[in-house]
Amino acid sequence: MLRFKSLAAGVCLAASMVTTAALAEETVVWWDFLAGGDGVRMKQMIEDFNAAHEGDITIDATTLEWGLPFYSKVQTSAAVGEAPDIMTYHASRIPLAVEQGILTEITEADRQKMDLSEADYAPSTWDAVTNEGKQYAVPLDTHPIVLYYNKDVLGKAGLLTDDGRPKGLDSREGFTATLKALKEAGITFPLGSVTADGNFMFRTIYSLMGQQDGELMTDGEFLVGDNAVKLQNALDVLQTWTKEGLQSTYTDYPATVALFTSGEAAMMINGVWEVPTMTDLHAQGNLFEWGAVELPVIFDHPSTYADSHAFAIPANKGREMSDAKHDAVLEVMSWISKNSLFWATAGHIPAYGPVTESAEYKAMEPNATYSPLTQNMIFDPKSPLAGIAGPIFDVMSTYFVPTLNGEMDPAEAVKEIKFELNDM
Amino acid sequence: MALLLISPFVAIYGLIFIYPTIKMFMISFTDAPLIGAGDWVGTENYERLGRDRRFNTSLWNTFYFVVLTVVPGTLVALAIALGVSRLNGRLQALVLALFFLPYILPVSVVYRLWDWTLNFQFGIAMHLFDLIGMDRVPVFKVTGWFMPAVAFVTIWWTAGFSILLFLAGLRSIPAEIYEAASLDNSGRLSTFRNITWPLIWPVTALVLTIQLILQMKIFDQVYLFSTGGRANDNLVLVYYVFQRAFQNNQGGRAAAVAVVLFMIVIIISVLNFQLTRLSGNRSK
Repeated sequence: MLRFKSLAAGVCLAASMVTTAALAEETVVWWDFLAGGDGVRMKQMIEDFNAAHEGDITIDATTLEWGLPFYSKVQTSAAVGEAPDIMTYHASRIPLAVEQGILTEITEADRQKMDLSEADYAPSTWDAVTNEGKQYAVPLDTHPIVLYYNKDVLGKAGLLTDDGRPKGLDSREGFTATLKALKEAGITFPLGSVTADGNFMFRTIYSLMGQQDGELMTDGEFLVGDNAVKLQNALDVLQTWTKEGLQSTYTDYPATVALFTSGEAAMMINGVWEVPTMTDLHAQGNLFEWGAVELPVIFDHPSTYADSHAFAIPANKGREMSDAKHDAVLEVMSWISKNSLFWATAGHIPAYGPVTESAEYKAMEPNATYSPLTQNMIFDPKSPLAGIAGPIFDVMSTYFVPTLNGEMDPAEAVKEIKFELNDM
Repeated sequence: MALLLISPFVAIYGLIFIYPTIKMFMISFTDAPLIGAGDWVGTENYERLGRDRRFNTSLWNTFYFVVLTVVPGTLVALAIALGVSRLNGRLQALVLALFFLPYILPVSVVYRLWDWTLNFQFGIAMHLFDLIGMDRVPVFKVTGWFMPAVAFVTIWWTAGFSILLFLAGLRSIPAEIYEAASLDNSGRLSTFRNITWPLIWPVTALVLTIQLILQMKIFDQVYLFSTGGRANDNLVLVYYVFQRAFQNNQGGRAAAVAVVLFMIVIIISVLNFQLTRLSGNRSK
C-alpha cells in the first residue's frame, strides 16, 4: 500500500513537472508607488516588457499609495508571506528594511544572470543600495532636485548667461542678487519654494548642508560638532530669502508647481520628476520657454540630495520563491534597467550607466543639462531612522516649516532638532 | 446547547479582541520591533513615557481636541436638530439631507476639500480673509490654529450623525406635553428648559459618550492635515502609537502608549457614564 502511494506521488510529480515545462509562463507580482506622470511611463514599460516576453513572463502590477502607506503594507505583508515577487523601493529605506529582514539579498550569481555589475553604476548610487557590503536592490534611477527657471522672464530681466542659464549660480551673493533683480523686475516670487512642506524641504536643506560637507549623522549620533552650525547656516540662507520677500511662503507642493507654471514664480527648486509636467505643458503651447539646471552653489562646492528608485525582492516569511520565479524576477530587473532610456522621459536620471552614456540620452533636454550632477549627489545617512517618510523627516519638518517662514530662529530650530533626533 | 450557540461569537470575540488585547499588554513589556518578538524589559517602556516629549505633546493635544469637539459638537448638533424639527415635510427632509451630507464623505475627501479651501495661495477661504482685511493664515501650518481648525472640520464632518440621534429623541417626546405647556402659557425658553432638555437628556448623554470615545481615538484627520507640516507638534495619542510602531519600528514602545490610551478611554468612559446617569436622575 505504502509503495503504491509513493508511486502515485511520483507519477503526480512527474505529471506536474511536464505541465510546468509546457506552460512555463511565470507571473511576476509587482508592487510600486509610482502614481504620477512617472507611473504612466512605468505602465508603458511594463506593457513593453510583457509584449517582449509573451508566453514567458507576465508582470501583474499594482500601484499603491506612495510613502508611509506603501512601506507599512510592505513590512506587514512580508512578515506573513503575502508580499509581491518584486517591488519598487527607495534606496533611503533600505537600512530599516534590512534590520527588519524583509529584503532578499542580491548575490553575485544574481548579478551575473542579470548581466549587471557595480561598474555600471555611479559609486554613490551603488553605495546607497548596499548595506554592510551586501546588495539589497537594483537601482533604476536617481531622482535629485534641480532648479527650474523661466527663460522668458529671466531673459527679459537680462539674467541669463550666454549659454542660457540663470546668472549667479556660483555663490550665495550671486544667486541672491539674481533673486533681487527679479523682485525689482516686478516678479511676485523670484523663487517658488515648497515652504509649507518640511518633508520636501529636507531635500533642499540637506543639499545645502552637503555643500559645506556637513553630516547629519556621525557614528550613530546626530549633528555632531560643527554639523549643527552647518544646518543652521542652511536654514539661515532660506529664512533670509523669506524675510526679504524673495521666495513664496507657506506654499505646499501643488501650489509651488502652480506658481511656477503660471509665471508668478520665476524659478523653482523641485524634483526632476516634474520635468514631464513642463514638457507636456510646453508641447501643448501652455508654457513659456524653460530650463532646469543643477542647484546653485550657495556654500563651498556643488552638492545635491538624491534618492534612488530601486527594485527589491521581498523576503516572504514562510514562502520560499521557486528558482524559476526568481529567474523571472531577475529578468524583469535586468530588462527594465537596460531599457530605462524611456524612464528618463519621466525626468529621473537612469542609474544604469550605459543608458546615460548613450547618444540618445545626451540629446535629451533638459536631462542632459542636469545629469552631470550625479557626480555631486549625496544620499540619506544609512540609518533605520532615515529615508522618505521616516522619523527623521517628521522631526525636521516640525521645525523646518516655522523656520523657513520666518517664525522661528534658525539657532533655536537647530537646538530643538538636535534634541529630538538624539532622543529617538 | 446554549454554550454551543454562543460559541461562534465567543470564539470570534476571543480571537479578534481578547487575544490581541492580552498580546498588546504583553508586548508593552518587551522591546519588540514592529514584526516579531522582543526581549522582556519590564516596565522600561512605561518609565520612558514620563520623560518623553512626544508622548507629552500627544497626551495634551488629545485632551485639547476632546475639549474642542465633544461638548461644542454636541451642542451644535442639538441646536441644528431643534431647528430642523421645526420644519415640515419635504423641506425638513431636504435640510436634514444637507446637514447629513458631510457625514457620508470619506475622511480623505474631507481632507482634500478643506486643504484646498484653506490653501494659503489659492484657497477660497483666503479670499474671504482678504475681503475683510485680515492677514492670511496658513491654518494647518501654525500650531495655534491647527487643533481648533481640525476640531471645526471634525464637527462639520460628523455632526450629521448626532443630529439624527437628536431628531429621533425629539420625535419621541409626545406632542401632548407641548400642548399642555402652551396651554399653561409656557414661553419658548422655559418649554425648552423644563420639557425638551430633561426629556432629551438620555439622548444627549448617549451622544456625549459616543463623541467622547470617538474623539479620544482621533487619528485620521490629524495625520492627514499634518503630513509635511509640523507633524511632531500636532501629535495625538493614536498618531503617536502609529509613529512608534510603523515609523520607528518599535512595537513595544508603541504598545505601551496604546495601553495607556486604553486605560484612559476606559476610565473616562466609566466616569462619563456614571456622571451623566447621576445628573440625569437629578434633573428628573
